[in-house]
Amino acid sequence: MEIKRRDFLKLFGGFSGALLLGGCGLDEVLEVPASWVNKVKNGPKIETWKNTICGLCSGGCGIQVRLIDGLPVHIKGNPNYPVNQGGMCPLGINALHHLYNPDRIQIPMKRVGNPLTGKWEPISWEDAFKIISQRLIKLRRQNITHQLVILGSGERGVMKELISRFASAYGSPNYYQFSSLPNDVVPYLLVHGQSQIPSYDFLNAKIILSFGSNFLEEGFSPIYYTKLYSHHREQQTRYIQIEPRMSLTAANADSWVPIRPGTYGALALGLAYVLIREELYNEDFVTKYTFGFEDWIDKESKKHIGFRNYVLENYYPEKVSEITGVSSELILELGRELGNTPRALVLGGGGALDNTNGTFSMMAIQSLNGLLGNYERKGGIYFIDEPPYSKLPPVIEDSIAKNGNKKEPHAKPQDISFPLTNFSIESFTKNILRDNPYPIDTLFLFRGNPLFHSINHHEFVDALKKTPFIVSFDSFINETNEYAHLILPVNTFLEDWNESSNIPSVGFSHIGIQQPVVEPLFSTRSMGDIFIDLAKQIGGTVSDSFPFENYKQVIEHKLLGVYNSGRGAIASKGVKKMWLEYLQQRGWQISRYSSYEEFWDQLLKDGGWWNPIREEKRLNEIFKTPSGKFEFYSQKLKNSLDTLLKNQKENDSTHNLESILSRLNITARGDAVYLPHHEIVPYEGEKPFYFTTFQVLPNRDGKGANLPLMQEMFGYSVRSYWRSWVEINPINAEEYGIKDGDWIWIESSINRIKVQAKVIPAIMPNVIAIPFGLGHTSYGRYAKGYGVNPNSIMHNLYDYLSGKPALDGTKVKISLAS
Amino acid sequence: MRITFLIVVVLSVLSPSLLSQEIIIPQNPLNGRLVFEEKGCIECHSIGGFGGTTGPSLTRDLYFGSVLELATIIWNHTPQMNRKFRQMTINRPQLTENEMLDLFGFLYYLRYLGEPGSVAKGKKLLEIKGCSGCHSIGASGGSIGPSFENIQQYASPLYIVQTMWNHGPAMQEQLKKSGVKYPILTGQDIADITMYIRQATMGNDEIRMAPGNPNKGKEVFDNKGCDNCHLTEGKAKRILAPNLRKLELKKSVTETASSMWNHGPMMLKEMKKESIDWPIFVNNEMADLIAYLYFLGFEDKSGDKNRGERTFKDKSCNSCHKTGREGKGPDLTKIKKFDSPIKMVQLMWNHASEMEDLLISQNKPWPTLDTGDMCDLYAYLKYITQK
Repeated sequence: MEIKRRDFLKLFGGFSGALLLGGCGLDEVLEVPASWVNKVKNGPKIETWKNTICGLCSGGCGIQVRLIDGLPVHIKGNPNYPVNQGGMCPLGINALHHLYNPDRIQIPMKRVGNPLTGKWEPISWEDAFKIISQRLIKLRRQNITHQLVILGSGERGVMKELISRFASAYGSPNYYQFSSLPNDVVPYLLVHGQSQIPSYDFLNAKIILSFGSNFLEEGFSPIYYTKLYSHHREQQTRYIQIEPRMSLTAANADSWVPIRPGTYGALALGLAYVLIREELYNEDFVTKYTFGFEDWIDKESKKHIGFRNYVLENYYPEKVSEITGVSSELILELGRELGNTPRALVLGGGGALDNTNGTFSMMAIQSLNGLLGNYERKGGIYFIDEPPYSKLPPVIEDSIAKNGNKKEPHAKPQDISFPLTNFSIESFTKNILRDNPYPIDTLFLFRGNPLFHSINHHEFVDALKKTPFIVSFDSFINETNEYAHLILPVNTFLEDWNESSNIPSVGFSHIGIQQPVVEPLFSTRSMGDIFIDLAKQIGGTVSDSFPFENYKQVIEHKLLGVYNSGRGAIASKGVKKMWLEYLQQRGWQISRYSSYEEFWDQLLKDGGWWNPIREEKRLNEIFKTPSGKFEFYSQKLKNSLDTLLKNQKENDSTHNLESILSRLNITARGDAVYLPHHEIVPYEGEKPFYFTTFQVLPNRDGKGANLPLMQEMFGYSVRSYWRSWVEINPINAEEYGIKDGDWIWIESSINRIKVQAKVIPAIMPNVIAIPFGLGHTSYGRYAKGYGVNPNSIMHNLYDYLSGKPALDGTKVKISLAS
Repeated sequence: MRITFLIVVVLSVLSPSLLSQEIIIPQNPLNGRLVFEEKGCIECHSIGGFGGTTGPSLTRDLYFGSVLELATIIWNHTPQMNRKFRQMTINRPQLTENEMLDLFGFLYYLRYLGEPGSVAKGKKLLEIKGCSGCHSIGASGGSIGPSFENIQQYASPLYIVQTMWNHGPAMQEQLKKSGVKYPILTGQDIADITMYIRQATMGNDEIRMAPGNPNKGKEVFDNKGCDNCHLTEGKAKRILAPNLRKLELKKSVTETASSMWNHGPMMLKEMKKESIDWPIFVNNEMADLIAYLYFLGFEDKSGDKNRGERTFKDKSCNSCHKTGREGKGPDLTKIKKFDSPIKMVQLMWNHASEMEDLLISQNKPWPTLDTGDMCDLYAYLKYITQK
C-alpha cells in the first residue's frame, strides 16, 4: 500500500490519542490489534513500566516501556543503564512504530511464483517447520549438511552462540554475518594480534583525534558516545575530527579538518613523522613494547627498514599535504598538539576504513597510538573482559555433523583476495554463483538486508536466485527476503527475549536483558525458540545439543555464571563505578541475593548488569602478535602473504609475491608492504568528484526507513524529509550552475541516480555526499519508493585484505537534470 | 542451636540506653550513598578518594561517631560550610528526616567497611603468623591445612575469618598437636592476608560478601542463641561475657572479626565447660552480625533534660525560640513532638542558613556545642515537645 507524506502528516496529527481511541483513521500508521484496542478502551488503565533493551540498532540502549493495561504506549531511556544513561536516539524513542507497523509479517508465508511478484500465501507454523525440518533431515541423510548456510546480520552474544551451536550440531561450518565487523577487525588483528575492537578511555583523554569516525551518529553505540561527548564539554577535552564532510561529530568538534577521501593513512603517517622527528613519541613504550620501529635484521640476516626511517623518508608534511589536501602547517600543528598533550587519544573508523586501502589506513592511525604508548593507561586504549557467563554444555556432534563441520567454509575467499578474513560478502556471492567450493542447498537469512547494502547488487540477486531454498527469519519483507521461499515472522525486540552484551568499543563489561514487554501481537515467534524447536524436530544429536525448552532458559543459564562470579553489579540506581570500586577494594559486593532466582528477578526489574572495574592487564598480555608486542611491521600480514604465496605456488608455479601483491591491489613493495603506509585508491581519474555516503541517526543503516516518523526526521540537519539529497560545496555548485534544490544526475561508470542538491560549505570541494538509508524497492509502504540508494552506483571495489566494501572508492561526475 | 558463649569478646552487657532505641537502623546503610550523591555532598567531600576536595575526606579522617557526635561536628562548622556553599553558588541542600537518617547511617557505616589490604604485607604475614606452616601457596608451605592456591578468590576478608571461625575448634586442636602458637591477628592483618591470597589463588570465581545488614544481624544474634549469654535486650539468660559497653564497638568489620578470632581459644574453653556447640556461620551471617554490633553504637547515650534546658539558655537558643509568638524562631513547645534525634538533627540542618543570617545580623556568634550538649538538648527538646 502506498502512502504519501502528506497523508501521513494528516494521520499523524491525532497520534497522541491514537492508542486509547483506537481506529480513528490511524490504522495506516499503527496496526494495533482490535482486541488490544478494546482491552485498553475498557480496561482499568493501570500503568506499569518494564525495562528492556532497544533492538533497533547495534547500540544496545537500555529502555523503559510504559504500558497501560499491558499495552506499550511510550518508551524512554533507562537512566540507570550504563551504556546510554537514560539517553535515547530518535529511532529508539519511535520503536513503538516498529512494534505496531502495519507492514509487519504476521504469519509464516510461502512464496508463490517468481520473486518480486509480491505473491505470498500464508501457511501454518507446523507446516513451515515441517518443510524446513524435512529439508534439513534430507541433507543429513545425504551427508551434505555443509550445504546449509546461515547468513546472520550482526547478532552478538548469546544469540550468536545459539545459532553457531545450531550450525555445529547440525554439521555446517557456514554461519556468517553480514555486517562489516569481521572485516573491520582486520587492521587491529595486524597491529594488536587480536580481533577485539578496543575501547577508548574518552573520559580521561585530553585531546581526541578522530580519523573519519562519526561516532555521534554512526558508531557502534551513538548514545554512549553522546554521553561521553557531553562529559568532554564539561572537562574541556579538545576534539578534532578529520573527514571530508562535516558530520554531526565534526560539527560538535573543536576543529574540523577536511581531508581528501582515501588519504587518511597518509595524514596519520604525516603526524607520525612530526612525532618522530620532534621526539614527541613515548620512547619507553616504543622500545619495550613495539616491534619494527627501528631498522632490524631478521633470522636470515636480511636487513629491514624500521617504521621510524620509513616514515621519516616518505611522509614529510609537504608530501602528505599533496596527498591529503591538508596544509603542511596544519600537519605540523596537529602533530605537535598530539605529542605535547598528555593523554592524547587517536581513533579511526567510517571513511578511514571504507576504502580499498582501509586496512593500511587504519594501521597507520593505530600506529599513532603505538607511538604515544596509549595502551592500558589513563586516557588510552584498553580491552574489556567478557562477561563471566556460564558455559553451555558441549555441542554433541554425530558423525554426520563432524563430517559437515570439517568441510571448507563456503564463503571463505577461494582466490587470492581477502586473505585475512573468512568472510566477505563478495566471496560469499561469488562462491554461490560458482558452486565453489561446493553448491549450497539451503540458505537461512537471519534478519538483515544484505541486498540493500550490497555494492554488487546484480550478482547478489543472481546468487539469491540460484539458491535452491531460502528461509528468511524476519519481521518485515525487504529487498533480500523477497527472494526467499519461506518467511518465518519473528517477534520484534519488544516481544522477545535476548541479551545485549559488550557492545564493541563501550568501555566496560555489560549485559542488557531484552525481555518481552508485551505478548506477540501476531502469530510471530521468538528467533531463539525457532532454532531450538528446529533442532528438536531434526532430532538425534542435534536435538540433544539443545537441552533447553526455550531461548529464555539459555539466557538464564548463561547468567548463572555472572551470578556465581560475584563480579560487577546489577545496573540500578546509585550503582556507580566509584562505589563498586570502593567496595571491591574492601572485598564487598554492593548487593546481596538470597538465590539466583532473586538475582534474576532483580536483573529483569532493572534491565542489566555491568562491571566497570576492569582487571588491569600487563602490556605483554594484550598484544597477541608473533612478537607479543604492538607491531609496526606486521608479521601476521607477512606470514599470511607467505602462506598465500606458498599455496598459490602449489597450484601454479609461476606465482610470485609480485603477482600476489598486484592481485591484492597493493602497490607498495619491499618492507613497506607490511608497514603502515598509504596505498593509492584506484579511482577513475576522469571523474571529478569523490563520492561518499553517510548515515543519519533516524535511519542508521536503512532500518529506520519503514518508520514514518523517522522518514519525517530523515534530513533533520538540512530540512529534507522522506527524500535523499546530495551535499555539494558552493564552489562546485557555482562551477556547475547548481542551486539549492536543483535536481542533478550523479553518474559513475556503473549507474546513475537523480537527487536534489544541497549546496553547503560543510563538505569539501570536489567531494559529494549522499545519505545512505533510502531508495528501498521493498520494506513496506513508508520505505518503498522514497529517495535513492547511493550504493547502487558504487564500483564493486573492496579492501582486498579485509574484504570490506570500499564505500568511498568511487568517483563520479555530475550534471544538472533537465 | 543452644549457644551461650557466642562471641565472648565482642558482646557483653549493654546499657539500658540501647534497649529503647529511637532510631530505626537503615535496612541497607549503603543506600545513604544516594543521598550523599544526590544532595551534592560528594562535590566537596571524598570517600576513598572519590569525590571533591573542598571539604574534608570522609574516609581519611574517620571521625564517625554516634549520630549526635556527627551532628555536633556538622553543626559547629555550619558557618564555614555555608561560606563554601556561597562561594560555589550552591544552595544548602534540604533533607527530609529519612534522607538524614540514610545519610548518617551511611557515613557511620563507612568505618565498618574497612580498608583495603596490602599484597606485600599479606605475603610476609603468612610467614610471620605461621600460616604457611600448614597451608601451601605456590611451591612452599605445609600440607596439613588446605592449600590457598586452590581456593576461590576469597575477596572478602570476612569470608576468610568466617571460614577460619567455622573450623576454629578443629584448627585449635591441630595447632596444639603441631605445637604451633595460636595466631593472633589484627583487622588489618586479615585484610592484608586476604589481599595476598586473592592474588595468588588460581580460583576463577570471586567470593565476596555483601556489607552486613544490621537488622539481619539482629536475627542472626537471636537465632544463634547469642542472647543466652550476651545482653542485648536486657534479658540475657546468663551473663558470662565481658561488658560490651567497655569495648569500642565502632571498629571495622575485620577488626571486630579479628577480636573474635583472637579470643577463640578462651571462648571454646568456656563453651566446652557449658557443653555448648561451636556456632557456625554461613553466607553473610558474620557480616550481618558484626554490622548489628557495630550499629549498637549508632545511637547516643540518653542526655539529661535539665542540663539540656541550661544549654538551651546558655547558648541563647531561647532568645529566638520563645514560648508564644514573641520569638523569631518557632515556639518549640508547639511543634510536633520529637521521637528521634534524627528529627532534631534534620530540623537543625535545614534551618542553619536562616539562623546564621539572623545571628550575623544581630552580631551574635555561632553557638558551638559538644556532643554532651547535643544529647542534653535532645533530651530537653524531646521533653518540651512531648509536653
